[in-house]
Amino acid sequence: MEDLHAKFLPQFVSLARSRIELAIKAVADRDHAAISKIGRDLHTLAGEAGLLGLHDVVPLARDGELKARVLHASRTDADADVLAAALRQLERIIDGIGTPLKSGS
Amino acid sequence: MSAANRDRFIVRAEIRAADESVISYGFDLTASSIFVVTEWHAPIGTAVSLRLSFPRILDPVDVMARIADIRVAGEPGEPGGIRLTFDEVGVGARLMAKLDRVAPPADGAVIEERPYRVLLVDDSWLIRDMFAYGTAKFFERPGALAIDHAEDAEEAWGKLAKSTYDLVIVDYFLPSEDGASLIARLRADARLARTPIVAISVGGRDAREATISAGADVFVDKPLVFRDLFNTLRVLAERRERARPTPERKAILVFDDSPFALALTRAALESAGFTVAIAADLSSFERQRVAFDPDLILVDVQMPEAFGDDIASTLRGWHGVQVPILLVSSLDQTELERRAKRAQASGYICKGAGMSELVRRCRELLEVAP
Repeated sequence: MEDLHAKFLPQFVSLARSRIELAIKAVADRDHAAISKIGRDLHTLAGEAGLLGLHDVVPLARDGELKARVLHASRTDADADVLAAALRQLERIIDGIGTPLKSGS
Repeated sequence: MSAANRDRFIVRAEIRAADESVISYGFDLTASSIFVVTEWHAPIGTAVSLRLSFPRILDPVDVMARIADIRVAGEPGEPGGIRLTFDEVGVGARLMAKLDRVAPPADGAVIEERPYRVLLVDDSWLIRDMFAYGTAKFFERPGALAIDHAEDAEEAWGKLAKSTYDLVIVDYFLPSEDGASLIARLRADARLARTPIVAISVGGRDAREATISAGADVFVDKPLVFRDLFNTLRVLAERRERARPTPERKAILVFDDSPFALALTRAALESAGFTVAIAADLSSFERQRVAFDPDLILVDVQMPEAFGDDIASTLRGWHGVQVPILLVSSLDQTELERRAKRAQASGYICKGAGMSELVRRCRELLEVAP
């Protein structure tokens, strides 16, 4: 399983970064049409992280998913700010996973 | 044998821009882009509609993309063209998931154990020698690829009548009858019509248009980039091999809308000795379920087209499916347990438990020793 982890982790980090980047932009632009997709993407991300055994990522992605669903219903600035903060926290965690990959360690 | 480098798989690339429609080929697929060999250019940033496929082998993937870079042809092996960046994530994984989607023939025919057979129709001895060299260099397992040669269309036709080939590679410039004419004959023949054809030539645009119009699936310019061509042949040979389930291996069908989760689950289960088929949408799942006849079905729960528990429930109640069905999800355990019970599934696996646990549960259910 270690081989698989090493093989699939860079792809996961790249996919996760793209998804989070798009999500942060959609929230900043208040693109409400994209908010439900953010929820689905974060749900998918949580599952993929879980399969890879990234236990720090799963609860944050699930939390982001729930906050995206709340924002989808409320469309308020307050809920958008809450989701944006959750996404940035997730982004930091993903960057933390990606940094050792970049440095080759 | 190490796996083929699938990033270098050659695909047909169809580009549609505002006033132009181009059919060419692409390779060097990354998570977010692909390089397409073409003489057509537009300004960097131009949006295009892109269809990637390998007719008869790989169903099309349609995506919006933008020109990110333009490369002028350089040394042999560095064709000119454009790098296109996809407007959405996961295109590469989606394409590979489609490529991975192999099932035994629906008519139940047995796929015999034999090399991947290619007929190369080219009168150049240099090209033939290069193929012999490439076969030795790129195929570590002797006998995995068998390349037969024909110097002209008539010799090719004779060989095609007597043998079965998995792929035909046809040069456009042949003595007496050109490659396009041979391709058209192949496409008109009931037995040979579905054979994948790669056309090759130094003839550039004219040769490409002639061979594609005649029915070639992919056109590749000469001088050939043998690394990419042989990687493509290796991927195809490995794909054919996977379509032959080993009788003693248990078969698992995995249904998930995430191409990444599908690729990872497949890799883990295959390395554990299972034969695996994957599906990313409902129609593919239904096709695979009937053709693949799995011993175990793994279904994700929250998918755009349907909930996995509803699918499990329908399989049990409507189709009378008896094989074990496991719900696989990142939902919390209580919710997953409730859904599994309601759907009469055999159980559930939390994705958060990781791949080792997933493999352990599959072994347990199928009574396979580690």
